[in-house]
Formats: sequence, structure tokens, C-alpha cells
Amino acid sequence: MPVGYFSLILHAHLPFVRHPEYPEFLEEDWLYEAITEVYLPLIFIFQTLHEAGAKPRLAMNISPPLCEMLADPLLQERYTRHIENLLELAKKELHRAQTEDPDFVEVAKMYVDNLSASLGLWNDRYQRNLINAFRELQDEGVIEIITCCATHGFMPLISTPEARRAQVAIAVTNYKKHFGRQPRGIWLAECAYEPGIEDLLKEYDIEYFISDTHAILYGDPRPKFGVHAPVICPNGVATFARDVETSQQVWSAEIGYPGNDLYREFYRDIGFDAPFDYLEPHLHADGNRRHLGLKYHRITGKTVPQNKKGAYIPSLAREKAAENAMHFIGERIKQAYLLRETFEGHPPLVVSPYDAELFGHWWFEGPQFIDFFFKKLHFDQSEIQAVTPGDFLDSGINIQRQQPTASSWGEAGYYKVWLNEGNSWMYPYQHDAERRMTDLADRVQSSKFQVQGSEPYSDVEPGTLKLELAVRIANQAARELLLAQSSDWAFQIYQGTTVEYSSRRFQSHIHRFDLLAKMLEQSETPASMGGQILSTEQLELLAEIESRDNIFPEIDYCIYASSDKI
Amino acid sequence: MSASIEHEVLDARVLTVSSGENIRKESDFEAITERIAAALNEDEAEATASDELSPVFRELALPKLPELKRENRARLLMQTPNRVYFYWSLKNNPFQILRRAFGENTGSYTLVVKLINETRNTEQIHAVDADGNWWFSVEPDSSYRAELGFYAPNRPYFRALYSNTITTPRKSPSSRVATEADWRIPANKFAQVLDVAGFKQDAFDVAITGDDARHAQTASYAAFGRLTERPASDFAGFDADDIRYALTLLAAGATLEDLRFRISDELFAVLQSAIELITREKALAALKAEFELGENDIIEEYEEVGPAVFGSSLVNFPKRVRTRSRRIDQLNKFEPLSSHTFGR
Repeated sequence: MPVGYFSLILHAHLPFVRHPEYPEFLEEDWLYEAITEVYLPLIFIFQTLHEAGAKPRLAMNISPPLCEMLADPLLQERYTRHIENLLELAKKELHRAQTEDPDFVEVAKMYVDNLSASLGLWNDRYQRNLINAFRELQDEGVIEIITCCATHGFMPLISTPEARRAQVAIAVTNYKKHFGRQPRGIWLAECAYEPGIEDLLKEYDIEYFISDTHAILYGDPRPKFGVHAPVICPNGVATFARDVETSQQVWSAEIGYPGNDLYREFYRDIGFDAPFDYLEPHLHADGNRRHLGLKYHRITGKTVPQNKKGAYIPSLAREKAAENAMHFIGERIKQAYLLRETFEGHPPLVVSPYDAELFGHWWFEGPQFIDFFFKKLHFDQSEIQAVTPGDFLDSGINIQRQQPTASSWGEAGYYKVWLNEGNSWMYPYQHDAERRMTDLADRVQSSKFQVQGSEPYSDVEPGTLKLELAVRIANQAARELLLAQSSDWAFQIYQGTTVEYSSRRFQSHIHRFDLLAKMLEQSETPASMGGQILSTEQLELLAEIESRDNIFPEIDYCIYASSDKI
Repeated sequence: MSASIEHEVLDARVLTVSSGENIRKESDFEAITERIAAALNEDEAEATASDELSPVFRELALPKLPELKRENRARLLMQTPNRVYFYWSLKNNPFQILRRAFGENTGSYTLVVKLINETRNTEQIHAVDADGNWWFSVEPDSSYRAELGFYAPNRPYFRALYSNTITTPRKSPSSRVATEADWRIPANKFAQVLDVAGFKQDAFDVAITGDDARHAQTASYAAFGRLTERPASDFAGFDADDIRYALTLLAAGATLEDLRFRISDELFAVLQSAIELITREKALAALKAEFELGENDIIEEYEEVGPAVFGSSLVNFPKRVRTRSRRIDQLNKFEPLSSHTFGR
């Protein structure tokens, strides 16, 4: 038996951003950058570690919106164009460095090599669908994929039981579609929990969820092993909470590994450094400069101004990543001994959840760190064993029963990032849509709309609507509500990043929900009371909204029907 | 990247992350001037194009929030253990409701929002309009419900609408020990567990309060009374954990301002009203007097640990007050009363 267990959990999530109405869209880059810098490198590393017999083992949440984007043909095609364009620029850059500036040859060559390998994996190995890659890794026993709230909805701030249930039910259905099995665990968006949420999880056979440290430390009764063991809620669902020490070691802007001087500087990017004419063929048609992902400088020093940063040297950064991984393991071994002594022989579990996008995007060397970490863990020591939460539940180690307390992993530990003076205006609209959605689902389920016919629209009278059309509208209204509920919008408004886009996205989904709800309401009303059949323009509008917000094609609005009708 | 590019770009303006293009030489000005001229024409073209857009595209391109239907709404949301948010609306004009209820004799009745602490049986009332929202300062570990109603001095209060009930979480470890023998843990041991979890301040608090929650509560009120030079009984309505939290931070060198929004507004107001009495030394003396802190158990330093992390996340790191770690091992004041001891 090892001295202690360690569970790495990566939370991979991006909001659903897909704009077919424009040929190019700046915010779609979030996905493309993450594929290039995070998902492909991690997949490559896990696959290589597995093939080398290093037995990496971790849990990974691939959120439903991310799954839907990774499986979307339009975004796949656009990403292919994106990486081909980037590779072309990288090759041009390598040539420039070789002829004009030898200091940057190593890094320029690194980009050409990385991007060429990535393009090969993307096109050939995974046929442009990374869901295939993650599924394969799960089937090989490398990762335990867990699900997430359907659109990363912040559960405690969702107002109706039906809308909360939908976030879980739709996530589980979507997981089964992509990964062909039942998820064992769930990442509650932002680790936001309040007592009672576990009942919904149990309803959908979810065995565990991830929470923040104080969910357990402040839970009732006192947890005997603190945060270094899971607890089981009174209803039998387990929760695993975040270890603070490992969070700070990797994540802290003050003391975290990513701030090392040798690591790549995030904010120096060729998209802002190179002359416009040189870059123009690689920019969007609007000609706006933006981060392109080719970055040539190292952090150099926290106080060193951006224009004094030194050249990035990949080989030195790689050595530092290996050194940090070794240090991290050394600290885990020390921590395990200390915890085990404190626990009088009981084996501790250290749970380390991180945003996946930290590894590769924000911390460029993060995937290398993970690579070295698992290699050293397997080959160089035996005190620590990597497990997933599911493995731990299967181990037969006794687990205390406890009622965790309300919490989130956001700033200050509760809900203020998502509910504050700057974004509280959103909730009356969101809650109103949640209530209307259930009302709408109940009405569509009732006989009023159930007029059968081969043509979905024509020849119906006001007061009725063909079932097929009513279902289409209700399903799309559900999608709009789900997209409005993404915690990402309130988060970004609080953080002050992409405020305009986030506000607009929220408004768009509420606006579209309202348009769709009104279509049903108007059609339901008999002609004698002013009801009208849908106009051609409204039908076009429905089709357009469906084509844009095409998340969850499998959705069934019935999940929103009143709880007593399910 | 070439040296020539570096020479051109290495000035501070270039390096702020911005989508704006940087103007570095005369040719840039010319190019931009040309683009402006072109853009002036493009405006017309775009306007023409916009006219040609389908109504569907236009509808979706200009999202607007719908006007919320006038309905009776009352929703209470927890933000933190010390703060909740309430928003409401009334379907009908409150004065019409009043007239319907009282006839013309509506007297001095006014529409109010009332927040009820169901755990401690306290309430607060504020005069409001028919639509609005309110941030309330609240106590942790309490159940709350908000109401809209009609209030007049010396006359009965009438409730018109009430909200969902929410429970604020405790913001410190539970004082309850598991009933199953396998999971019992005495306070001094639990303090060690909190310490190794990185929750130093809670570890310190659990260590000094021990297993006797009632005694700890009494001692907390007494210590606060010493600090503010008021009778301990004045604070019976306050959360004892909140009081100790304030005392510990003050004893560690935090200023009163540091406590704003970290403790309930009411407790903060008490401290503010006694500001001339509040010193680090006095807070420490009050704790020592009631909790028998030794000389080696001095709280060393108040340290703010912010949420700053790499990337775009804002992940919480726990509050931290540095203490001497031996404090936890040595403290045994309440050990004879611990449930652990009783269990044996």
C-alpha cells in the first residue's frame, strides 16, 4: 500500500461559442487556441505515457459544451483552417529567424515541429474529432472522464428544480452520446454546491462530485480526515474536495511554478509584435491584431518590462518543467507522510483539481510538467499512487458520512463572483425564463398543441400547432435557456474581460428564448382571442436560431416539465 | 523573430495587450489615413448592405432583453454567508392593493421589504418601491426568508408576498462531532487536521474553543465585551464564530477596515462605534483572558491571501493568519469536556 493517494483532476471547459453567421469570429479562437495549446498536447502526452507503460491515471471533465464544439463539423473545419494558417506563419517565421536572427531559431523551430505534429494528429489520428481521442484514453484506462453541468450552469443560482434537473439530465445524456457509457462523476460548474444538489445527482446515478475545500472542512459533523479524504453525503453520493497546498503550488501567481523566469511569457505575442503587412495574410479579414499563439520570449523576471524580455529557450524551459515536477512529487511525498502521521495510519488522498486550460495555454510548459510528473511517479517512487475518485471509491477504504456545506471554488469561496452588483441584473431574466420554460413544457405536453399532420406548419388554425413544430420550438427554447445559464457570462462580466461579448451573449439567448416562447403563446391562443398562426418570417427565424445555437441536437424539452409530471 | 522587428516594436506601448494597431512610422499614418477614407465609404456600403439584410438576420443581430412581464416575484439568493440578494416585483400597484384591503383608510401604511432570520428570530424592515432589489447583511448559519408587506407604526403588519427560504452556510468548522465511534475526533486533533489542510486560522480557532461549544460561545461574548467595554450580554444575538473571527484578525494586526464585509454589518457597526477602544493589544488581551492563550501562542501576523492565480480563473485560497503551530498541540483547556473523552 502506498503512503498516500493523489488524484489529478483536469476541468476542460469553454463556453459554447459558434458563429456560423460570420465567416470568422474572434471569440471562436478560444477553442482553437485550446485545441492547439492544451487538448492536443495533453492527448499526445497521455497516449505516449500509456504506450510507454507509465500508467498515467487521472480524472478529466470534458464539459458538454466543449464536447459539442469538438464534435461540430463547422468548428472542425474552421479549426483546420486555423492551424494550417498558423503552421504557414510558423514556417515563414522559421525562415526569417534562420536568415535574420539566430536567437529565435530554436523557438521558431519548436513551433513548426509542434504544429506539424498537431496537424498530423488532428487530421490523421483523430479524424478532426478529439472526442475520439478522449474516448480512446478512457477506454484504455488512462483517464476517467466525468461530466459537468450541461452548459456550466451555476446550480445554486438556478431558481427552479426543473431547470436544475435539466442541467444534470442533459449532461448525462450528452455524455452517453459522446462516450458511450454512464459518467461516474460530475464537476459541478465552479464547484458550486449547496445542500440538496446531491439529490439530483443521485437521481441520475452519479456517484460523486468535486467540491471546494471548505465544503468538507466546514461540513457537519467535523470531517475526521479533513479535506484529505472524501465524504459521503447522507444520500450516498460522495464528494472529493480540493487540496489547498497543491493548488497554490501550481496555480498561485505569487509562488506557483508557472511564474518561473525561464517559462514562456504569455503576453508577448507575434500578433502584436510583428509589422502589420507581414501579419496581414494571417489575420482575420477585419485586419485586427490579435494573439496568434507564436510567442518568442520568456518571463525573464516578474519586474522586467515587456520590452526587455529575453528570448525563450525551449530546452531550458523543459529542464525547469522536469525540475518542478520532481519538486512537486517530493512535496507530495512529504505531505503524504505528514498526513498519514496526523491521521494515525489512515492513508490520505490529495485531490488536485485545475482548469485544464492552465496547462498549455496560460502555462505553456504545463503539459510537459504533467508528462514528467507521471513518468517520475511511475518509475522513480512508490510512496504516492495516482488514482481517480472512482478508483478511490472502488478501493473499499471507509468513508465518513457528512453533510457538506454550501461553497464554490471562486474568489472568497462562495457565490460573489457570479452574483454581485455588476451582474445581478441577469438573474430576474434568467429566473423568468426558467419558470416560463417549465410552463411552456407543460403546455406543449398538453393536448393543445398535439395536432398531428404530415406538414409541420400549413393548414392549421390559430389555437393549434402541429406537434412537430411545437416540439421544435420548445426544444430550441430549452437550448436558449441553457446557453443563457452558462456561468461564463456572469464570470466574465465580474472579471472585466470580454464584458461586451458576454453581456451580448446572455441578452441574445434571453431574447431568442423570448421570441420562441412568444411563438408558442401566440399560436396557442384561439383566433377569436387574437391568436395568429406563425408567419413565414417566424418560421425562418426558428430555423436560423436552430442553425446557430445547435448545441445538444438530442435535447428533449420534456425534462423541463413540472416535477410532478416527470 | 528578426532583430529588425524587435527594434521596431520594443517600446512599452506595443506591449500592452490591445487589439489596437500601433503606429510607429510615417508610412503607418498614411496607411491608416487611407483606411479611414475607405472606411468612410464603407459606412455607406454597410448601411446599404444592412438594408438588404434579411429581417431574420436583423432581429438576431440586435438582441434586446425583453421587458419582464409585471408579475409577483420574490427571489432571495445567497451571495456569501454574510450577504444575500433579494429582488422582487408586484403585479399590481401597491396603493391599489392597499385601498382594496383597507378602503380609503390606508393610514400610514407603506410597502416594506422584511428579511426574517428564522434561526434567530430577528428581522429587518426597509421601505421600498413595487419593483426593486436589496442587498442584506446577514448572519452565517441561519435560515432567511424575505417578504413584501404593508407596515405602519403601531398597527398590524400584513404580508403580501414571500420569497423562497435560503440558508447561509457557517463560515467556520462545525462544532459537532460525529456520533459514530470510528469518526469521532476531539478538538485538539481536529485542529491539527485543519492545520495540515492549510486552514491555519480555523485550526487556531478550533484549538482555542475546544469541544465545548457553549462555553466557547460564552467566552466569545465575554472577550468581545472586554474589547468593547460593554456587557457580554449585549452580544447574545451575534454569531460567536463571527465574533472570534473578528477578535483573531484584530489580534493578528488586521485593521478595522480589513474586517469590512468579512463580518456581519451589525458586528462591524459595533466595532466601529467603539473604534477608539480597538487595538491589537487589547484584542489579544481579551482573547487571552477568556481563552487562556499562553505567551507562546501569540498570533504572529495577519496575512491576506488573495485569489490571484495564473490564467483567467479566480480561485479561492483560504483565509490565513499565521500562528505558532505548537499552539494546537499544547492547548488542552477544554479537553476534559470533549465529546471524545465522553465517548470513552
